[in-house]
Amino acid sequence: MIFLIEYNRREGSIATFRDFDDSQRREAEDLRLDIELVLNRKGVDHEVVLLEAESQDALRRTHRRYFEDLRQILKSGSGRDQ
Amino acid sequence: MLDDYRRSFGEAYEAVVRTIRQRGEFPTGRLAKSTRSIVEKLHRESIRLSQMQDIAGCRVVVMDVVQQEQFVASLKTDFPGASVIDRRNNPSYGYRAVHIIAEISGKPIEIQVRTSLQHLWAELSEKSSDVLDPTIKYGGGPDYWRNILTLSSKAVASYENLEKVPVVALENWKKSIVELRSQYVTEPYEELLRDEELRIFMKAKAENLKLVRAWNELADVMHGAISWLDERRLKEQKQ
Repeated sequence: MIFLIEYNRREGSIATFRDFDDSQRREAEDLRLDIELVLNRKGVDHEVVLLEAESQDALRRTHRRYFEDLRQILKSGSGRDQ
Repeated sequence: MLDDYRRSFGEAYEAVVRTIRQRGEFPTGRLAKSTRSIVEKLHRESIRLSQMQDIAGCRVVVMDVVQQEQFVASLKTDFPGASVIDRRNNPSYGYRAVHIIAEISGKPIEIQVRTSLQHLWAELSEKSSDVLDPTIKYGGGPDYWRNILTLSSKAVASYENLEKVPVVALENWKKSIVELRSQYVTEPYEELLRDEELRIFMKAKAENLKLVRAWNELADVMHGAISWLDERRLKEQKQ
């Protein structure tokens, strides 16, 4: 699956989230460019990224920073087996 | 024009991801870097666009350093001639991982191979760069937080170096047994050898437990630091 994320870095939160089938790559790339151009025109400082993963769960594991705050990320690594 | 350029990495990216999937791993791929990240990197590193090696790439997070070494070795076989950037012993501002740059039809594709602990550290560093100070990723930001990141990066390295010890001990034992058997050495010697490797294994295990406790204590300190930073941010917002 392909995921388009518009991420507000300062706020640490997602502004736009869309998913696409693997066959819709061109459409996803076009939309990314459109969003980037609009943000640029408006002077909005957001990161726009196109990611591909097996599932949304897989994406959430490899790119936690888009979905979780610092405390949640840290929690995922605490309490390792003893 | 920049968009056409980054789209031109599509086929090379596909080829790399296909190869990795054949190895049974399912990477998360970045089809191409965002315009913002490309522009920032060009400014930061004074390089040309054609010199950027991470326009497109993917990330694989494996369980531990033993799996990481096995996976990196398999990538070297799959992509002969690929450059290997091992940031485990020479971390970049605390960032540890192995990056492989595979070149397909003249297009470099970056494969990030991280262990779960290296990944946790990288996510903490990136997220704090997002919300606290963008320079944290490059060694800047509040001293207190930077020191904690440095300390936790070193803790990850210590833990992972130790993680390899039991595996090496086991391998040595197997190798010695094979060698001894070929020399017709009797069973008591095998037992002696096994006891010695077992002693090394148990020692490593005990050290490992100590490190796990230290890691959890460090995580508590980090929780405290986040609360402190949150309060500071709230105060700044009110002013």
